[in-house]
Amino acid sequence: MIDFSSINSTIDSYLHSLLPAQVATLVECAIIALCAIVAYLVFAIVMIFMERKVCAAFQCRLGPTRVGFWGLLQVFADVFKMLIKEIIDIKNSDRALYTLAPFLVIMSSIITFSCLPFDNGLQVLDFNIGVFFIMAASSFGVLGILLAGWSSNNKFAMIGAIRSGGQMISYELSMSLCILTLVVLSGTMQVSEIVEMQRGGWFIVRGHIPAVIAFIIYLIAGNAETNRAPFDLPEAESELTAGFHTEYSGMGFGFFYVAEFMNMFIIAGIASTLFLGGWTPFYIPGLEGFNEAMEWIPGFVWFLGKTFFVVWLLMWIRWTFPRLRIDQVLVLEWKYLVPIGLLNLLIMTVCVVMGWTL
Amino acid sequence: MMNIENIDIKDFRQKMLDLRASGMDFLREMVGMDWNEEGLGVIYILENSATHEGKEVAVRTTNRENPQVPTVSDIWQVAEIYEREVFDFFGIEFTGHPDMRRLFLRNDWIGFPLRKDYDASEAINPVRLESETNEEIHREYDIAEEKQLAELVEKMKILHYDQFVINIGPQHPATHGVLRFRLSLEGEVVRKVDIHCGYIHRGIEKMCESRTYPQTLAFTDRLDYLSAHQNRHALCMCIEKAMGLEVTDRVQYIRTIMDELQRIDSHLLMFSCMAMDMGAITSFIYGFREREKILDIMEEVTGGRLIQNYNTIGGVQADITPDFAAKVKEFCNDQKQRLKEYYDVFVNNVILRNRTIGVGVLSREDAISLGATGGTGRASGWACDVRKRHPYALYDKVDFKEILHTRGDCYDRLLVRLEEIVESIHIIEQLIDNIPEGEYKTKTKPIIKLPEGQFSASVEGSRGEFGVFIESHGDKTPYRVKFRPTGLPLIAVAQKIMKKHKVADLITIGASLDYVIPDIDR
Amino acid sequence: MSFLNNTYIGNILSAIGSLATGMKVTLCEFFTRKVTECYPENRKTQHIAERHRAMLRMPHDEEGKNKCIACGLCQQACPNGTITITTKSVTDEETGKSRKVLAEYRYDLGSCMFCQLCVNACPKGAIEFSNEFENAVFDRSKLIMKLNK
Repeated sequence: MIDFSSINSTIDSYLHSLLPAQVATLVECAIIALCAIVAYLVFAIVMIFMERKVCAAFQCRLGPTRVGFWGLLQVFADVFKMLIKEIIDIKNSDRALYTLAPFLVIMSSIITFSCLPFDNGLQVLDFNIGVFFIMAASSFGVLGILLAGWSSNNKFAMIGAIRSGGQMISYELSMSLCILTLVVLSGTMQVSEIVEMQRGGWFIVRGHIPAVIAFIIYLIAGNAETNRAPFDLPEAESELTAGFHTEYSGMGFGFFYVAEFMNMFIIAGIASTLFLGGWTPFYIPGLEGFNEAMEWIPGFVWFLGKTFFVVWLLMWIRWTFPRLRIDQVLVLEWKYLVPIGLLNLLIMTVCVVMGWTL
Repeated sequence: MMNIENIDIKDFRQKMLDLRASGMDFLREMVGMDWNEEGLGVIYILENSATHEGKEVAVRTTNRENPQVPTVSDIWQVAEIYEREVFDFFGIEFTGHPDMRRLFLRNDWIGFPLRKDYDASEAINPVRLESETNEEIHREYDIAEEKQLAELVEKMKILHYDQFVINIGPQHPATHGVLRFRLSLEGEVVRKVDIHCGYIHRGIEKMCESRTYPQTLAFTDRLDYLSAHQNRHALCMCIEKAMGLEVTDRVQYIRTIMDELQRIDSHLLMFSCMAMDMGAITSFIYGFREREKILDIMEEVTGGRLIQNYNTIGGVQADITPDFAAKVKEFCNDQKQRLKEYYDVFVNNVILRNRTIGVGVLSREDAISLGATGGTGRASGWACDVRKRHPYALYDKVDFKEILHTRGDCYDRLLVRLEEIVESIHIIEQLIDNIPEGEYKTKTKPIIKLPEGQFSASVEGSRGEFGVFIESHGDKTPYRVKFRPTGLPLIAVAQKIMKKHKVADLITIGASLDYVIPDIDR
Repeated sequence: MSFLNNTYIGNILSAIGSLATGMKVTLCEFFTRKVTECYPENRKTQHIAERHRAMLRMPHDEEGKNKCIACGLCQQACPNGTITITTKSVTDEETGKSRKVLAEYRYDLGSCMFCQLCVNACPKGAIEFSNEFENAVFDRSKLIMKLNK
């Protein structure tokens, strides 16, 4: 397997040999930011295209077929359309907040994205409270949504934003509980260490019952966090037309749109990191030849494969169920997911203490 | 020919109260009339929901300047919205009515279009480009003791300025067309609903008055486009009845089968749209996939998918195609399998059940009083199927069950529709192999004139009783045509049951009532 | 499992059961044949119902003659004033009598509502509805057509 940390350090020492230390660090920051944003955009395009095709397949349709072969250029056409759209000036809107809101959402999304471990060493931010940081960074996106709803001077947007506030803050809780359950199992908060520990076996297998329950709750809560059906109340198109982003046009809307898809990717990425072993390959104990063959597949392929599988799961859920009502969303969280999550945390702790994990 | 009893306006209230007390609990239709020098008036078509016995009464007033008739909106709830319609078109003020506003036309409209002396020139009512202002007060005409005429006495705020008022519609994905709900919200909870109709009011009843009988047929397809076939069936039946024309057995078979196909089509669309309104877009596509097959069959036979143009006076436009029976049977067999899929993916889903059970409950009494026929009434336990009450075509010869549920909530309304699909398939299967040979059309004279008198016919449309009322003065054009809309009572229902529910429930209730806007507005 | 009915755990289990059934259905549909029709690529194979009413047409025989006798019944039957017939008198060479023939049969596709009353009214079967449904134009005046040649 390729170790990206050695490549990183080679580039690092090369830059330091050319430039003074502060400048070298600055240049590194710029390069990394560029790489992260490019990767972010590439995955966004892949995600949007995948959503279209997967959704179409669930609905017995073909999906986009016109632009490019098999509709491959559809997303580019859409981005182009959004770029040339008129930015509408809303009467009596809070201009500063209105402009700021989409950036807050996309910022939170990009920061969380850069915490994902794509491969051994291929990770922007990796430090001892990595998981904690991911949770913190992902949760300030709700601020952007609230601001968007508030500043638009639109009653639909306002209702959407209020719904979203109630929903996202609630579901943050059960998501954190699931992550905590895994932290209890792994005993560390550093993302790279969590992945490294799963070389011997993925946590969803090692943690057996409590890990599977945590995985399911995590998927539900993750779906709610990304505002996707059946939890798409903040935008509920049949009720609130488009919810909090009703008044946004052009790239303002584009940012919300991209952030929504990338948040789904991030949720899936975290799930594959914590539960499905991240970039570590699939091993079957005892089958040496098989394991060696698995070793030849690069780590980022493993990571992306697992992530896109989880994304597909999320899409499957999204394209099957009707939407919940706001009180039911909160009932589901506070009466079912949180108590079960807490109980599950307890079970996991007991399992770990008693050594009942695999 | 209808037997209409004239009531003197002085005894009118008492007489109506007596009729209600004698069991006439269903106000089927209220027809505003302008009899020129004989004055303006209203015809009430009543029915006893238990014995299905009918009664028609008329009241008239010769005062054209200030025509006033006592309200019956406290006796039959649906009269509240019917009286607004009559006021809108004839200017008859109903004294004691709590909310005497125009229903369809703009509130700055001048004149009353269905009066015979109405001046339709554009100088009086030009195309106005500015938006309509909301009337903020209810207007009520109350009879003061010493005065001859009632006066506008009470003014009541519709919606207060300090309420959180939002407009759902006229352009909104969940109103299924251009309908507008003005809501006053308290958080997510709806406090008051004020429904505005008339955004696609085309004056079809007025247009009919200047068209020959065959020409009026084309309008019926454009009322409730999801029961285009049944609507046209009703009008043809009414004209045939008036002419004394008998249609052949073959025509009756074809009409019945096509009516039922249209019903399946409509119910599939209702299922699909309810799914979409509740966010289950995949179920929506599944429903539409099957609906497409019906449309293909219909297009093959009638030449139209939505506007079918099939029934004509004395028969149908063209004979069925040779492969019609085979295709219909194939569809019926396939559809039974598909229904199971709908139940699995949508109807039995726990989210749907939680969102619809107990939401928007309409009691049986209210359903009758509000005239909510069709699936809505049957979900509340009211056996209101015209096919059973007053069988027409072949419905007294085929065996089918009238689906009745008791809870009257959104879930029952959905179930009634899906179970009716099964019954419709059952009816079709009984008929499809036995279509007798014969003429598909009885020859009629080129110019059709109806004898003098009033005629009515009604059929079970896809979403309730669709009635046609024709008053003929012996000309080749009708003197007055009135269509009983299946959707207008549903608007009254919506206004009643949407209160105290959440915004999301309001969408669910709207979807489950399954109204079609062109049918409401006409 | 009946003892679990309407209990906390029972509700969760039945909910998961119903959700799983739904997901099973969509998963099956994921792999079934897709129903999208690729119009306009499938123009050649596409089936249009024979009775489909797309626009009014006046068929002409090989000599370029139509069956219209300019009686005007279709014009009278039309509820919308879609059809306008202009006639001219020609003198019959054999008998020497003058008779009315069709000068122009003007049809406005834009106001036609395809009610078929004109076709029903025609005593000679001179007009019919055709299947050519691709009638979108950029200018409304292009919808006004002259049907006779």
